[in-house]
Amino acid sequence: MAEINYTAVVARDLEDLVPVFLKNRTKELDSLGSALKASDYAQLKQLGHRMKGVGNSYGFAPISEFGKMIEEGVRKVDTGAIRDCIAAYADYLANVKIVYE
Amino acid sequence: MKEPQPAFRVLVVDDDPDMGAFLALLLKKEGMRADVVEDGETALMRVMTDPPDLVLLDVMMPGLSGFEICHRLKSEEATALIPIVLVTDLEDQESRVRGIESGADDFLSKPIKREELLARVKTLRRLHETRKELESRRLAAEVESKEAIRKTFSRYVSPRLAERIIGDLGKPDDIFSKAKRSDVVALFADLRGFTRLTERTEVGRVVEMLNEYFSILSQAAYRYDATIFNMAGDALLVGFNVPFPQQDPARLAYNCAQEMLTRFAPVADQWEREQGIGTGVGIGISMGEAVIGNVGSPHYMSYTIIGNTVNTAARLMQLAQPYEVLICDRVYDELRAVVPLEQVEARGDVTLRGRTEPIKVFCLNVPLDGHPARAG
Repeated sequence: MAEINYTAVVARDLEDLVPVFLKNRTKELDSLGSALKASDYAQLKQLGHRMKGVGNSYGFAPISEFGKMIEEGVRKVDTGAIRDCIAAYADYLANVKIVYE
Repeated sequence: MKEPQPAFRVLVVDDDPDMGAFLALLLKKEGMRADVVEDGETALMRVMTDPPDLVLLDVMMPGLSGFEICHRLKSEEATALIPIVLVTDLEDQESRVRGIESGADDFLSKPIKREELLARVKTLRRLHETRKELESRRLAAEVESKEAIRKTFSRYVSPRLAERIIGDLGKPDDIFSKAKRSDVVALFADLRGFTRLTERTEVGRVVEMLNEYFSILSQAAYRYDATIFNMAGDALLVGFNVPFPQQDPARLAYNCAQEMLTRFAPVADQWEREQGIGTGVGIGISMGEAVIGNVGSPHYMSYTIIGNTVNTAARLMQLAQPYEVLICDRVYDELRAVVPLEQVEARGDVTLRGRTEPIKVFCLNVPLDGHPARAG
C-alpha cells in the first residue's frame, strides 16, 4: 500500500454524520479482529467489501484501500496480510485528522 | 393556487447504515424524501406497502441480494415500473450483467460520487415523472370517455346495466362491436287518450305530464333491467334479454308491464280529475328473434332492435285497449305457469296489420287495486 495520508478531507455537509461513521469504524475494527481469530473468511470478506464502499464515499480513501487489501487477503487466504492490514487500519483510525471543506 | 408537488421519494436499501445515511443525506439536500432500510425482506415489504418513486439498491447484502430483490420487484405488476438503481463496485462487470438480467434501470458505482448519484437519480426522476404524467392523462381520458358513455347509457338502461356495459367495453365481444341476432322480448307501451288530452291542456303542462308518464314507465323498465330503445310521441319500446341474456325474460316483461300499469293508474286518475279526460296505458309484448345493433348514419346512430318480433309487439300495442296487455302465443307459453288462468283471455287468431298469417293473441288482465280497467 502506498503511503497513508492521515488527513481526510471531508465535505462540510457530512460533518454531522462523521462521529457515527468513525464510531462504526471502531466497531468494525473489533469485528475484523474477531473474524480473523475465528478464521471467519466470509465475515472478513463482507467487512472488507463494506469498508471499500464506504471509505471513499465519506472522504476517507485509506479505509477503502484497507477494505481492498482485506478482500485480497481473503482471496489468497493470507492471514498474515490480513493481520497487518487490521493493524494499519487501527493505526489510521487512531491518528486520522479531519478537515472539513 | 397550485398544489405543492409531493417530494420525490427514494427508498435506499443498504446493509451498511453509514452508506445508507450518506445516500439519504445527499438526496434530502436535493429536496427528495429518502427512507433507509437495511435488509432485503424489509425492502420488499416497504415497496409493496408504500411504493417509492425510486429504489437505490445495494447489490451485496446478507440474506436477499440486490439482484434477487430487483428481480422480484420487476416481476410484480404493481412494482415493475418503479425505477431501480443498483449500487455496485466500479470494477465489478459481472454484477452489472446480472443487474441488467434482473431488470435494473441504472447502476451506480462505489465509491459514490455525489455528482454521479444526483445526475442518475435526476434523470430517472424526470423519466418517472413523464411516465406518471402520461399514465395520468391516459387514465383521465379513459374516465372521461367512460363517463360520457355512462351519461348516454344511463338514459336508456338501469345504472346496474350501464355499469355492466361499460365494464365490457373494449372486450372483443362488447355490445358495440357488431350487430347480432338474438332472442329478445320486446315490450311496446302507448298512452291512450293523450291526444285528446293535449288538445285541452296548456303546452307546458302537456310536457310535464309526458315527463311524468315516461318517468313512471322508465323506472319500471329499470327495475327489471330492461333496455329502453325508443321513446317517440307517447310510445315506448323496451327490450329484455338484451344486450345481455336474462333469466326468464318473458316473466320480467310481464312483471314490468304490471308495474307500468299499476303505477300509472293513480296518475291517470289525477289527470282525469284535472282535465276531465281518461287516459290509460296499452301494452303489447312479443318474443322471438331480432337484430340488435347500431343503426343509422355516421351523424346519427342509435342502438336498437329491429325485426318481426318488434313489429309484432308494436301491432299488439296498437290493438290493446287502455290497461290491457296483449301478448303473442310464445310469450303466453312462457308465462302459462305463472299467470293465473282467470287473468288470461284468449283473443283467438288475429291477423295483424302488415302480416299475412294470423297469430294467436292473449290478453292479460292486470289486477289494479282500486283502479278497475276502463275502456278508452
